[in-house]
Formats: sequence, C-alpha cells, structure tokens
Amino acid sequence: MKVVLQNLTKIFPSRDKKAGKEVVAVNDFTFEIPDGKLIGLLGPSGCGKSTTLYMISGLQKPTSGKIFFGDDDVTELSTENRGIGLVFQNYALYPHMTVKQNILFPLQNLKGKDKLSKEEMQKRAYEAAKLVQIDELMERKPSELSGGQQQRVAIARALVKMPRVLLLDEPLSNLDARLRLQTREEIRRIQKETGITTVFVTHDQEEAMSISDMIVVMKLGVVQQIGKPQEVYDDPTNLFVAKFLGTPPINVLEGKVKGGKVYIGEDAVLEVSGVADQDVVIGIRPEGFELDENGPLHCALSNVEIMGRDVSIVSTNPASVNPLIRSIINADNKVDLGSKTVRYSVKPHKFFLFNKETEERIRYEVK
Amino acid sequence: MVDNKQQWKAWLYLAPAIVLLLVFTVWPIFNTVRMAFLENYSGLKAAAGMQFEFGIGNFLKVVEYKRFIQCLKNTCILCVLTVPISTILALLIAVALNSIKFLQKGLQTIFFLPYVTNSIAIGMVFAAMFNIVGSFYGTENELIVTAGIINNVIEFFGGQHVNWINYGSTYEANMFVMVVYIVWNALPFKILVLLGGLQGINKQYYDAAKVDGTPRRRVFTHITVPLLSPMLAYVVITGFISGFKEYTSIVGIFGENMGPPDDAGRLNTMVGFIYDALETNSQGRASAAALILFAIILVVTLINNQVSKKRIHY
Amino acid sequence: MSEKNTMQERNLQRLSASQRIGRFLVKFFTYAFLILMAVIILFPFYWMIISSLKSLEEYRLNVPTFWPQKVLLRNYAEAFTTASLGQLFYNTMIVGVVSTLLSLVITVLSAFAFARLEFKGRDTMFGLLLATMMIPGELFTITNYATVTSLGWMNTYRVLIVPFLVSVFYIYLLRQNFMQIPNELYLAAKVDGTSDLKYLWKVMVPLSLPTLISITILKMMGAWNSYIWPRLVANDEAHRMITNGLRNAFTETTGDVNYPVQMAAVAIVSAPLFLVFVFLRKYIMAGVSRSGIKG
Repeated sequence: MKVVLQNLTKIFPSRDKKAGKEVVAVNDFTFEIPDGKLIGLLGPSGCGKSTTLYMISGLQKPTSGKIFFGDDDVTELSTENRGIGLVFQNYALYPHMTVKQNILFPLQNLKGKDKLSKEEMQKRAYEAAKLVQIDELMERKPSELSGGQQQRVAIARALVKMPRVLLLDEPLSNLDARLRLQTREEIRRIQKETGITTVFVTHDQEEAMSISDMIVVMKLGVVQQIGKPQEVYDDPTNLFVAKFLGTPPINVLEGKVKGGKVYIGEDAVLEVSGVADQDVVIGIRPEGFELDENGPLHCALSNVEIMGRDVSIVSTNPASVNPLIRSIINADNKVDLGSKTVRYSVKPHKFFLFNKETEERIRYEVK
Repeated sequence: MVDNKQQWKAWLYLAPAIVLLLVFTVWPIFNTVRMAFLENYSGLKAAAGMQFEFGIGNFLKVVEYKRFIQCLKNTCILCVLTVPISTILALLIAVALNSIKFLQKGLQTIFFLPYVTNSIAIGMVFAAMFNIVGSFYGTENELIVTAGIINNVIEFFGGQHVNWINYGSTYEANMFVMVVYIVWNALPFKILVLLGGLQGINKQYYDAAKVDGTPRRRVFTHITVPLLSPMLAYVVITGFISGFKEYTSIVGIFGENMGPPDDAGRLNTMVGFIYDALETNSQGRASAAALILFAIILVVTLINNQVSKKRIHY
Repeated sequence: MSEKNTMQERNLQRLSASQRIGRFLVKFFTYAFLILMAVIILFPFYWMIISSLKSLEEYRLNVPTFWPQKVLLRNYAEAFTTASLGQLFYNTMIVGVVSTLLSLVITVLSAFAFARLEFKGRDTMFGLLLATMMIPGELFTITNYATVTSLGWMNTYRVLIVPFLVSVFYIYLLRQNFMQIPNELYLAAKVDGTSDLKYLWKVMVPLSLPTLISITILKMMGAWNSYIWPRLVANDEAHRMITNGLRNAFTETTGDVNYPVQMAAVAIVSAPLFLVFVFLRKYIMAGVSRSGIKG
C-alpha cells in the first residue's frame, strides 16, 4: 500500500493565549511513500516528524492537505477505519493484560464481517508472536519483560490485525545501546518478511540511515530532503542536512571562493568552476581528508585517536566553526605526533560548499 | 561520636510526640484491651476501689445486647448500600469529568464542595429538606406544619408525600434519607481520588485503543477500570472503614436521639453504641464494642487486600 | 474513475457525519449527566441560603418559593444570639489555632527525625506508628476520657487540644515530603556548619510548604468539625465548640422548627469553611487525596 501525503500541514494553536503565536508543526509536506518500503522520518525534536506520523495514523487531523492510502483519500477517515498499526514510543502495552491478551486485544475489537472465531484469533496471535519471536512469553505480564521484549510485543500487537501501514514512533529510543542495534535489524527483518509499508520516526540519524529504504530529513516542520540514505549523505541539499547526518559529524569551516579557488584562511584548498566569488560555508566529511605532505590545507595538530582500522586526527584551524576538526584516515598512514602542523588535501566528493546566508548547497565542478 | 550525638538528637526531636503518643495512643490500646477483659468494668466503681475479675463477659453481653445487634445491623446496611452506590456514581462522574474540557475545572470544584462541610450542619439542612408535609407528633395533632422541599417536589409531580424522618416514620424511609446523605457526603473524596487516578493513566493507552478501533464500552471495561483498580480498591476500603465509623451524619439529621422522635436509638450505630456505653460509665462494655469494631475493620481491610491482590495484576 | 472517486467521497462523508452525530450525543449526555449531578450536589447549599433569608411564614408556604419574596437578614442576627455563635467562634478559634501551631511544631520535628536522622529502631518505630492508623479512634477515646478525667482536665481548652496534637498521618505525610528533598542538601548544610534546626527552618520547611499548608487547613477544619470528643469532655458554655453549640442550640431537628433561623446558623457555621475552600482549594485537595480522613 503506497501512502501519499499531499501538501500536508499541521498548525497548532498557541498554548499561551496572550502571545497568540501559533506553531506550524508540519508545513506543506508532499511525498509519496512507495509500497512495501521502510521509511525513516528523521530530524531533531520539534521538527514535526511525530506530528506527521500521528497525522498518517489519524490520531491527529491535518490543518490542510490530504493523505491517501493507495488511491483512497483517508484524510477524513478516523483512526480505527484506516487499518494501520501503530507502535508507541513507550509501547503502551496494557499493564494488566498478559502478552497474549495484549496481542489479542485488537482482534477482539473487530466486528461485523471482520469478526474472527476464537481459534482464528489464537492462530493469528501466535503467528504474530512467532514473527517477532516472543511466542514463549505469551503468559507473561509486560512488567515481567525486558525493554526489547516489550518492544516486540508492541510490534506484534500492531501487526496482528494485518495493517495496511505500520507506523513506529521512536521505536528504539527506550532501549539500551546493544539492544538498539539488535532491534533495528529485527525491525528490518520483520518489515522485509511482511512487506508492509512502514514509517518510523527517529531523531537518531544512524538508526534511520542503517535500516531505511528512504529517509526524510525534517527541520522545524519543513522537509529538507528526501532520498535513499546514502544519496542524502553523499549529496546533502543544505548545511542542516549535511550537519545532521554522519558520525563523527561533518567539519564546518568558513571560507571564500575567489577566482575559481576555494580558500580556507590563506590556503587555496580546491580549484572549482561555476561558482561566483563569494564568502561560503565549507563542509568536509571526516573521511574527506587525505594526509598529504604537500597538501594545501594547514591545520594545527592537537591529537591522534587510534580506532583500530582507522585513526582519527584531531586538529584545529582558525576558520573552523567548531573548536576541533576531526578527520578519519586509514591507520596505515603514519602521523608524526611530534610535528605541530598537519597538512591535508581534500577529496572533492566529500567537500561541500554552502551559501553563507541561505545555507543552501552551492554546486560546483572540479577543475 | 557523631552517631551517638545523632541518636540523642533524634530522641530529643521525637520527645514531644513520643510522650503524647504514650499517654494518648499507646496506653489506651493496652488499657482498652484490659478493660474489655475485666468483667463489668466501670470507671466509677474502679475509682471506688472495686476489683474486677478477668473474663470475656463484656463481649458476651455486648453481643447479646439487643441494641448492639440493631447498631451492627444499621452500620452494615449503611455500608453495604452507600459504598457501592457512591463508588459507582463517583466513577461515572470522574470518567465524565475526565472526558470534557469546557467547564471541567468549575464542575470539579462543585463536586468537591460537600467535602468542606460540617456533617452536623449540613445534616440539619437535609433534615429540613426531608421534613414532612402535614401533621407530626401523631395523628391526633392535626396542625399543618412546615413543609420540606423534597415532599413539595413529590407532591408537585402528583406523588404522595412521605414521612421521611418525623414522628411515625418507617425504618426504610429513615435509612433512605441516611443513604442519600452519606452518599452525598462521600462523593467528593471518591471523585477526587478517581479523577486523579484517571488523569494519571497514560494517554497512549487510549490512543492505542483508538488505533485498534476499540468501542467506547470496551475501552471503559477493559482499559479504564482495570488501570483504575488500585484507586477503586482504595476508595472502597476507605469507604467501608468510614462507613463502619458512621455516627455524626446521623446526629446531623436525627440529633442525639439517633432516630425519629418516637423511636430513639433506632438508627444508632457501632460508634454510637460505644459512646452510649461510655456515658453510662460501662467502660468494659464500651471497650469490648470498640475491639469488635476494630476486628471488623481489620477483617474488611484484609479481605479487601486479598481481593485486590487477586484482581489488581500489576 | 472520477465517478468512483466521488462515490467514495460521499460514503466517507456520510460515515463521518454519523460519527459526528454520535460524538455530539455522547458529549450532550455527558454534560447533561454532570450538570444534573452538580445541581443535586449544590441543591442543599442553595436551599440552606434561600431558606435562611425567608420569613418563617414564607418558608411554610405550601408551594415553596425558590427565591425569597423579601430578603430577611434578620434571621442571621437572631441565629447569632440564639446559638451564642460569638462565644462558640471564639472557643473554636482558640482551640483551632493553638492546636494547629503546636501540632505543626511536633509534626515537623518528628518528621525530620524519621526522615533524616539515623537512630536505633527508627524503622520499627515508624512501622508501629503507621500500624496505629488502622485502629479506630473510638478505641482510644474510651481510655482518654478516663485519663483526662483523672487529670482534672474536664471543661478546659487543654482537653480539646492536647490529646490530638500528634497525628501519625501528618507525620507520615511530611516525612514522605522530607524524604524527597535530596540528602546532599543536608550534608552540604552540615559542611557549612549549619545547625539542624536552622537547616530545618531554612531549607526543609520552605521546600515542604505546600504539605504544611495542607496540614494546617486539615487541622483547622478538624477543629471546626469536631463533635464527639468536645461533647464528651467540654460541653460547658465557656469551652463549647462550634459544631456542638450548633447542635445543642437546635436540638429539635424535625417538625415545626424555626427553620429560617436554623438555616442561618448553619450558613454562618459553614461560611468559614467555604472561604477557606475558595482560597486554598488546591492545598485541601492535595492533602485530602492522600488521606481519606475527613477533617
């Protein structure tokens, strides 16, 4: 089932009546979620990603715009008629019911022609439980389960009525680091097995990048970029997206373009064409540096962190927006810790220019 | 030693409380038990130097006492009627209150009002409201006297006025008035606790239920009530305890007479029995009755705890 | 295609229209129920006030009036003298204020000891104290009656104040509050050489002010509403408390009573409680939801 969001907008009236300022949580969001894909809605808190999810679920009504499931306009349809499964951030498992009762609960609500026999319900519940590998825990209470297990129960409960669309709100935020890795693979597996169009919300870019077919990066209610994770990473449309994706984060420096050369301080680091002379913001991915004795970029060396396969070189440069510049290079390269400066050349495809005012990407060609 | 200093200081801070507790709480526990087990103990006779034998005569006398059985019966009837009625009403009101936004605060305040009242004073208002239309002090006195608004309303709708609380009124009518008054009095606390409980339930449970298309009734029986069960247990148990200690609300409506003018003591309760015994200087009997009351409250509490353990699963 | 779309749209609209009607009906009945209950709850207060403003003749009309034909404030003056409410107010205020103040001091000191000081048998003792809350007060009253008689305290203010100064429930309430204050604050104060009492007064008390206010209000309400004990031990003119006085002044409860005057007296006695409620509702509700004890 593809999901189409058309000019979706949500405006919350201001809480403080005197200030009278309304909050635009989601602004003119248009996107077609392809059938059977896993989509990550990504952004810092308050970017409107959860609001978008709740509008798809029907728990919140859009101020304007439309939502389609396939060809059906569901904008006015209430939640229960949309046929969605929703996994809440805190799972919202009913604490007084066993795992089985929790999973059965949605089925017991079906009525009319959808009504199932007792045996059918049991069968479906066990299938869902098997899918998320909790069929051993059916008689337990949620309080007797670990966070990861609760998460699986919540997913089973969402899947048991065979939803057209599965929605997950920050599915991993309540798990510890190890479980998070494991669970995100699990979500990927379940999504692949069921083939249900799935949308999940997260503020963790690594999480979104690692399992999504597509990611949607949002900021203050406005969609910044939509695309496959690697494409978005390699080709950010603006400084925000570039900064938001990637660990360690991108290095941001101030510089200028003059006569077809990009300058950081006095160093002409790259020759480009197609860019007018102007002050720019420069983004260099940590892996975009290359140690080069004759390299154009001079930085003051402060530290080298060994990470096994790679080393991370920490240096400073007066043009840097952040105090430190971090580069990641292959550990085969030897760095002389005694020297005061480190010289780099840069890889053009990891080197981005942004307009200083609008922070939009400035595209260039390498000479 | 710092430790020793702290010990010493702690006891100093606790001293006033401990002294008062020893005199007015600890000693009474022992002494009341002692008096209960001394045959026909009386404060006056004890002061005169009389000795009493050990025995369970006081308890036997209390139980055999016709008045006591009447008191026990009244207390139990009041409990059994008022606790469920007030709990269910309070639950409905709390759920309704929780589901609205407009006027919520104002209505909540109104529903709490009966709490901040003097149960004797407002009892007098209820007595006025339930007063009879017609004659009182028997049929021989034909003087038409003060009407009560309740009977006015009944007659307005074409009904026959009821002798609720006056001379010649029936036990059932008396009890009805008491139940109405006690429920009215008990609602605020229960609504307050249940509403607090409802507001403490995570909204996500309701969102989850909505996603699954759960009908309203099922949300109420399968989600709201179970999640509210600790609060429900709490209001039921406190309801029973205060029900077994009912006394002043009856004084409020019927006065010290504890019944209509022609049948004093008809509505007397356990607590009333204890005070009556105390006033006739039968401390032994009063103590025995107090211990019986304590035992009942203890048993009710234990039963409730057991039921709660079975029914409240988390 | 387009026809099919419009069909669907119409279907959806009808569905949401019937849902809207359902929702409206639920809202309507919810409000109807709540307002009906609110009227029932409020009616006795309303009846008390309008009755207190009527003349006896008007009160006795066969068809009752729901607003006094002529507002009579005279009933209030009469009530005040009939029940000598002045003296009763005075007695009750003395007992209420003194017992509240003393009770607060004792409660704060005990709660502090239980919450912050280490001493042998602390938890056992606290557990025993909590256990006494289970015991009905009547059990204590029987012996206390004898105790105060032999102390010669009958018909004094003392007898109304002293036996109820310690409330295990208030100690419990305040201790819970004290426990929430991080112990680091206490240790920091110790490092700075602050004395216990100064710390208590400067840190603990301000931080638990809401609880202390709740306790104060409940205690004052308790004095105002107390009936059984005062009737037993101090039923003389000079020490009688307000509730007793009210009940004594109008022993006749049913039949041909001068209800307007009686209702005026009830209104006067109820008024202070209402004022406290209006201004300090938040604290009362906070204290009450944890207690289940009236007054």
